[in-house]
Amino acid sequence: MAIASLAAAIVTVGIFSFLYRDNPFYRACEHLLIGLSVGFSLVLLWNSVLIPKLLQPLFIEGRLLALIPFVLSLLMLLRLKSSLSYLSKPVLALVIGSGAGVSIPAMFEARVLRQIAASVEPFGVVGDGSVSALMLLGMLISLVGVVTVIVYFFYTRPDTKAFNGVSQIGVYFLMIFFGATYGYTVTSRLTLLIGRIEFLLGDFLHLL
Amino acid sequence: MSRLLSTFSARHLVFLVVLLAATIPLLLNIRLTHTASDETKHFYANIDSLPSGSVVLMSFDFEASAFAEIKPLAEAVLRHCFRQNLRVIGLSLFAEGTALGEQTLSRIAREKGKVYGTDYLYLGFRPQCTSAILAIGESLPKEFPTDYFGAATATMPVLSGVTNYDQIATVISITDGGMPTYWVDYAVTRYHARLQTVLTATMVTSFYPYISSGQIQSLIAGLKGAAEYELLLNESGGGGRGLLAQSVSQIAILAIILAGNMVGYLDRRRKWQ
Repeated sequence: MAIASLAAAIVTVGIFSFLYRDNPFYRACEHLLIGLSVGFSLVLLWNSVLIPKLLQPLFIEGRLLALIPFVLSLLMLLRLKSSLSYLSKPVLALVIGSGAGVSIPAMFEARVLRQIAASVEPFGVVGDGSVSALMLLGMLISLVGVVTVIVYFFYTRPDTKAFNGVSQIGVYFLMIFFGATYGYTVTSRLTLLIGRIEFLLGDFLHLL
Repeated sequence: MSRLLSTFSARHLVFLVVLLAATIPLLLNIRLTHTASDETKHFYANIDSLPSGSVVLMSFDFEASAFAEIKPLAEAVLRHCFRQNLRVIGLSLFAEGTALGEQTLSRIAREKGKVYGTDYLYLGFRPQCTSAILAIGESLPKEFPTDYFGAATATMPVLSGVTNYDQIATVISITDGGMPTYWVDYAVTRYHARLQTVLTATMVTSFYPYISSGQIQSLIAGLKGAAEYELLLNESGGGGRGLLAQSVSQIAILAIILAGNMVGYLDRRRKWQ
């Protein structure tokens, strides 16, 4: 554990050394990170996917159905040889086609229809007394935001003052969104910094 | 040393101020008094209301680079789940989150005296998140015949009676990216799963619309979310410890922005004159 902490402390300092300026120590740590990530992912894919889902069923259990993904995988690898790369196209078409078939209806319902419903549905209960004036104001602002931002992204709109004015309001809504996201991002990055300092002071130096 | 000082610029001064602002409060070990926000209370209440023995599917969908932010959040939620005697089934749809998810789950489970295979289980990594989420909707035991360590899952008591999302009380996606959108697309929309998310602060604004639409039941995010959750749990952890450091760092950044603008303004004014 002490060696692991020491190694982690060295590479943490190495990565932070970039804040002074680019240097070989930083580069070494960066390459180590990328190498470890790729190596870890490869081993994980080999152990969790290729062996239990493909190699074991095919070569040990003798399930011939696994021959289909095995052959398709080999065809996909032919992309690496330009003279045979055309053989990978049907496999790619299968992946893209099935992916689109599964994704498009689900995404359209989840990200478009449900979101539109969520934007307008609350107006249906305005009359029954369950919506306060403040909530109504929030709902109206939200609706104006949705409409004006959509107008902003409507690139083929006529170049009239009315459309441009509405799209300008959409720009303000977008700026508020980007501002909030940026603020949260700064907070997030600070948390990462605090996490590393906590590690250096606590786990490594035992000062906390 | 003199060479080092000669290359020291305003940029380095900014880094140094932020470093000190983050370090000194940690050394002082002062804990800020704060209250829990409504969204954290909502998340807490959702977990708290689950009957003992309910199944929670926890997906560790993050990269190692975000672990410092994710860790206190994941730990707080896991402590709550185990305190409620919920059965926790972990998995990862992100290769990098696999080992970190297993470490976190196992550590908190050991801390709470839970037994592997009876109270919790780690299924490991599945590539192609779409097919993995859809496959769980059809049959979780069929998709995961073995766990992360290669042991057969069929005989494990933790999976007793669990077939698909119908028997899973809630799915919790712990993420630093857009993975909850896939859970919404496939698990919530198609299988009516109940979804909650644990996010890095960066991702919060992207997922508020899903809270409004009810597609995600609740979310907690960032160090503040972790500190609030620890407060509700009445347990100490990384969230509360780092809150003062984060607040002081934010004040330092604001001061630097103000000082930078002031210097820029005075500089321009001098040139005009």
